[in-house]
Amino acid sequence: MTLRNISPGVWFILPTMLLLAALIVYPMLSTAELSVTDANGAFSGMRNFNVAISAPSTRLILFNTAYYVIGSVVFQLLLGILAGILLNQHFAGRSLVRSLMLIPWVVPGIVAAMTWAWMFHTDYGIINYMLMQVGIISEPIGWLTNPNTVMPALIAVNAWKMFPFVAVMVLAGLQSVPEELYEAVRVDGASFWHEIWHIMLPQLRPVLVSITLLLTIWALDGITIIYSITGGGPANRSMIFPIQIYVQAFEYFEFNRAAALSVLYFLFISVIIVLYMRVFAAQEKD
Amino acid sequence: MKDSRRTLLISLPVAILVIVAVFPFLWMAVSAFKPLSQLYTIPPQWLPDPPTLANFKNVLFESNIPRYFVNSLIISIGSTFLALVFAVFAAYGFARFDFRGRSAALAFVLIGQLLPTATVIVPLYIVLNYLGLINTYLGLILVYLILTLPLSVWMLTGYFRGIPKELEDAAIIDGASQLGVLFRISLPLVTPGIIAVTLYSFVATWNEFVFALSFATEKEMKTLPIGLAEFSTEFDTDWGAVMAASFVMTLPIALIFLVMQRMFVSGLMSGATKG
Repeated sequence: MTLRNISPGVWFILPTMLLLAALIVYPMLSTAELSVTDANGAFSGMRNFNVAISAPSTRLILFNTAYYVIGSVVFQLLLGILAGILLNQHFAGRSLVRSLMLIPWVVPGIVAAMTWAWMFHTDYGIINYMLMQVGIISEPIGWLTNPNTVMPALIAVNAWKMFPFVAVMVLAGLQSVPEELYEAVRVDGASFWHEIWHIMLPQLRPVLVSITLLLTIWALDGITIIYSITGGGPANRSMIFPIQIYVQAFEYFEFNRAAALSVLYFLFISVIIVLYMRVFAAQEKD
Repeated sequence: MKDSRRTLLISLPVAILVIVAVFPFLWMAVSAFKPLSQLYTIPPQWLPDPPTLANFKNVLFESNIPRYFVNSLIISIGSTFLALVFAVFAAYGFARFDFRGRSAALAFVLIGQLLPTATVIVPLYIVLNYLGLINTYLGLILVYLILTLPLSVWMLTGYFRGIPKELEDAAIIDGASQLGVLFRISLPLVTPGIIAVTLYSFVATWNEFVFALSFATEKEMKTLPIGLAEFSTEFDTDWGAVMAASFVMTLPIALIFLVMQRMFVSGLMSGATKG
């Protein structure tokens, strides 16, 4: 095969592919190498993995990560689906409401984090004040300092941040549902709940599958909100896996151990990425 | 009768939705205009009386925030532009040609877009350090290509596919070169795509946190998100100033969003699902 036989398409994509290889493939290979060597570069087998896995905090961190991801995704989906269905109804000012709903999604993550941290403030936070006014709580809660409330609070922030994305996708999905489907069940006198359960949700299934996988990946990547609000505290109660990688590397300078954690993290996340790509490929075919 | 019941059934959840979505943003804005004495009161004061610009003065003249703002601007624009240059060619190649390994290459681009940043921070730090690019604009601009390049390639590929192939074929028959076709015919037609990609890349890099946290540690090189996160420790958490700085950081994004809402939303959507 000579150079002339190569499709021009290859030349067009080559610079980008080389750049991405340098930025992604090389670092990943390098991570793998670092994970099985010690600080002097000597081969150390599974030692970094063993140390990382047997650390006393590992179980808590895995638990926190699962808690955060599952909690975030469930509430993002729940709120997003409800909002999407609501915004698909006819009412006055609908387009304005649709724009306003996007605010959480548009606001930078760090700004959302700072704003919520202020709202969750124990003494002067508006959330404690409102909850006490309504009578739900009798004294201020230290949302971000209490080990039992810190994760729910962070999940609330993440759910708030991302639910508009789900809503927009759901809305787009609903707009492609043929009107005849609704008319068919309305003739039979079906209720609104019946429409949601038997028409909207089944029609939305493919969209929901792919956004669930995306939300999972994003939640697993969720450093900004947690790190900037709590830094993983109090006492590791909000420490999640990706933040632990950062902490090991840049606060303890345990690069090899951080690399071992990165490998584990990558293996786990690649399962979800593969699932997503399969769903994605299947949808492209339709 | 049924109508009024329906109105209530819809307007109540709509009201809740609007409050949930808007309130934190409003609370940030309101807090930014409050003097210290009105921030720390029990019960909280709803509106600043009178509103003050003291927090903004503090942020703009007595903190490092303006410097961080400029840093963010340089890095975001640099990375957005660099990604665009590479992505125009790659996207055109993906959209117009069929070749062996095309779908594998596209899949790789998608993986690049989905890959969490934490997986590569350690080796990237080592490489940047080796090249002397820690705490430089160029270092972050290059690293941010991980965010902007896959995204730009994906989105632009979709736009290029939308151009009828006949237009290009006609030009080729008239003797235009492949590159000539790209620059004179296809590129002008995907202007909306270029704008969408530029905006989305800008927003993605403007908001980026982890890379900036790891690779820009010197005071002179930090970006706005990191500056904002450190405000709390730096000043023993002056919440008025934090909210004012948040307000300043949100402004460019809000402007982009206001001017091009439609494009922004469709861009974000295609950015997430179709690439």
